[in-house]
Amino acid sequence: MRVNPYPMPDLLAALSQTEAEADQAALQISTGRSVNQPSDNPTAAALEIETNNESTFDGGYLQDLSTINGQLSAASSTLSSVQTALQQALSLGIEGANGTLSESDQQAIVTDLQGIQSQVISLANTSYEGTYLFGGTVTGTAPYTVGGGDPSGVTYNGNDDVNQVSVGNGYQLAINQPGSQLFSASGNSVFLALNNLIVAMQSNTGIGTAVNDLSAATNYLSVQSTFYGNALSQVQSETTYLNAAKLQIAQQQNTLVGVDLPTAANNLSQSQTDEQAALEAIDKFSQNNLFDYLQ
Amino acid sequence: MAGLFGTLSIALSGLGVSQQELATSSNNVANANTPGYTREVAEVAAGAPVTLGSFNEGTGVVLQKIESLRDPLMEIQLNQETQQNSSLNTQLEQLQQMQTQFSSSTSGIGADISNFFNSLSQLSPDPSSIELRQAVLTAAGNLAADFNSAANSLGTQKSDLNLTVQQSVGAVNTLTSEIAGVDQQISSLENANQDATTLVDQQTSLIRQLSALVDVQVVQTGQGGIELATSNGTTLVSGGQSFALTTATGTDGNTDILAGTTDITGTLTGGSLAGTIQIRDQEIPGVLSQLDQLAAGFSNAINTANGLGYILSDSIPPTLGGNIFTTPPAGGTGAAAAMQVAITDPTLIAASLDGSEGSNGNLANLSAVATTAVAGNQTPIDAYSDLVFQVGSQTSNTSADVDGSTQILQQLQDERGSISGVSLDEEAANVVQFQTAYQASARVISTIDSMLADAVNLGIDTAVQ
Repeated sequence: MRVNPYPMPDLLAALSQTEAEADQAALQISTGRSVNQPSDNPTAAALEIETNNESTFDGGYLQDLSTINGQLSAASSTLSSVQTALQQALSLGIEGANGTLSESDQQAIVTDLQGIQSQVISLANTSYEGTYLFGGTVTGTAPYTVGGGDPSGVTYNGNDDVNQVSVGNGYQLAINQPGSQLFSASGNSVFLALNNLIVAMQSNTGIGTAVNDLSAATNYLSVQSTFYGNALSQVQSETTYLNAAKLQIAQQQNTLVGVDLPTAANNLSQSQTDEQAALEAIDKFSQNNLFDYLQ
Repeated sequence: MAGLFGTLSIALSGLGVSQQELATSSNNVANANTPGYTREVAEVAAGAPVTLGSFNEGTGVVLQKIESLRDPLMEIQLNQETQQNSSLNTQLEQLQQMQTQFSSSTSGIGADISNFFNSLSQLSPDPSSIELRQAVLTAAGNLAADFNSAANSLGTQKSDLNLTVQQSVGAVNTLTSEIAGVDQQISSLENANQDATTLVDQQTSLIRQLSALVDVQVVQTGQGGIELATSNGTTLVSGGQSFALTTATGTDGNTDILAGTTDITGTLTGGSLAGTIQIRDQEIPGVLSQLDQLAAGFSNAINTANGLGYILSDSIPPTLGGNIFTTPPAGGTGAAAAMQVAITDPTLIAASLDGSEGSNGNLANLSAVATTAVAGNQTPIDAYSDLVFQVGSQTSNTSADVDGSTQILQQLQDERGSISGVSLDEEAANVVQFQTAYQASARVISTIDSMLADAVNLGIDTAVQ
């Protein structure tokens, strides 16, 4: 069969093919990615968007957890201070219940108890970065104000609501306990018990009952406070989990769109060799024909 | 029995034919690099014998014709594959341009969607923070801006393609008018029984150029005349006349192609014009429509969710949230290009579910949009990732089609070359052969001359001067 006397277009096509392969390998090496546009691997490109989304979410959850951690820690340490203050009040109450104190000593205890009362009110009004911690979702107004005619001596300005924050895929964490469940819970109000103790101490009647009530309310607060300890420990374990998940996603993405450098480098050198060969073939082809040999 | 003069005339015919053959080879060599040139060979035959008594005597050699070595079937296949290849190449170029919008994994609509929901998540532990609310609006603005920019780029690409259609139609008209002109010349030459080979080469080459633009089919009408029509039957050249196509802007703003008053835009099946129209009328609107559906579904879902909660304010009773994004057009068409953030005041984000400033309950409703089907039964990120997959796989498939078609085209060109291409080696060998034949004929003439001198001088050996 007669051969095509003009293989030049074929040779040029082969040359441009090897050049394209070399370019592709060089691009992969320089970007460190095997998928540089969706057509390189449509499935991987689409999956990468999903994993990026996951990774962004995990990053967001981690940031949230760090914010929550601050809020929870502040609340938790505030409640510890409240516990300490209430224990002090209880000791004073027990001391007063003895019935052996002089009137002036009794009066001194009343003054101390009033000091503790305002300390606890102030602790219950603790804010963290401008946000009141114990007013439910009312965060812009101090949860407790003194007076208002309630027997507890304080008025609760907050609500009973609890905020939930997503800290994982489908994982909601409650981040606050409203004051109405901590300090002024119906039947276990520390404010009412504290106020009653002060009144009992002043009138020197029913001190024992008042001490018992305060003890019960303090225990109740202590039980309620475990919410923060639990929440903090959940924050810890979720943070650990998300950090591990983030690492895993990064590895997954690398498998998905990352480049295998040795392979890419090998492809580059292979295609450069091919390119050289194509160039030489073109050079040889154009060098001579039979006319050169005829005299 | 032939006399010396008879032999002389035989030798003369050899000289003449050898000269012709050399001229043919020379023409081949001269046109070795002429595009569309088909090599020529001189077809020769033994002269009709004369009967002398009981002998048949040869009368030398006769040049029958100079033939161009062309395979008409091959030319048709080449035209068809050129049409296919050109259409696919145009589509690939445009798809590659289109997919750059969707190439980045760290920016663009996909990342914007993730960042928007992330900003809501950041707001969740501290819902009254103006700073974090502002971050939500910024993320919303970035998303809207990227939807706008993607839609506008697709729009620009589309209007560029309208310009391409106009230019291509102009090129088609130029070519058909040239082809018609050449056709007239061929017909008149062939009517006069003259050789029109070179013109046929020229015509073939013009038809190949036309094939790169439009799906043209060639019908031979005899006497060298041809008819050209698109595969749906629109006549482009007939009887030596060309029929120009025209363009007009349709109601949708696209450039339509008209043959007379008939709109043939959607009927083209090959050539770059068909590829251009495929991208302009199918691929771009397809992607744009998905972007629109996503933008509209997303905006509506976020607006609805924002309406379920209360904005950050002291008002009693609390105020329900309004739209975060402008209301998308009904049906969604144009939503991506029109998407805007409707509010600048960050307090208007309705994070609260109970009206208090510290409530984040409605952020859960807003965040839930991330896992809600908003477009084509898919969540926002799934819908976008699906779109990227579609664009990528369309580009990758077209690229594979182009590779396949290019290989077929190369193969056909090789085959055409093996039939019609000028081989300099072959021509060199032919030149040697024809030169030797010429020299041999000349030698015969010289011999006969000397024999004639012998006859005239009655055997006295005298040099003929």
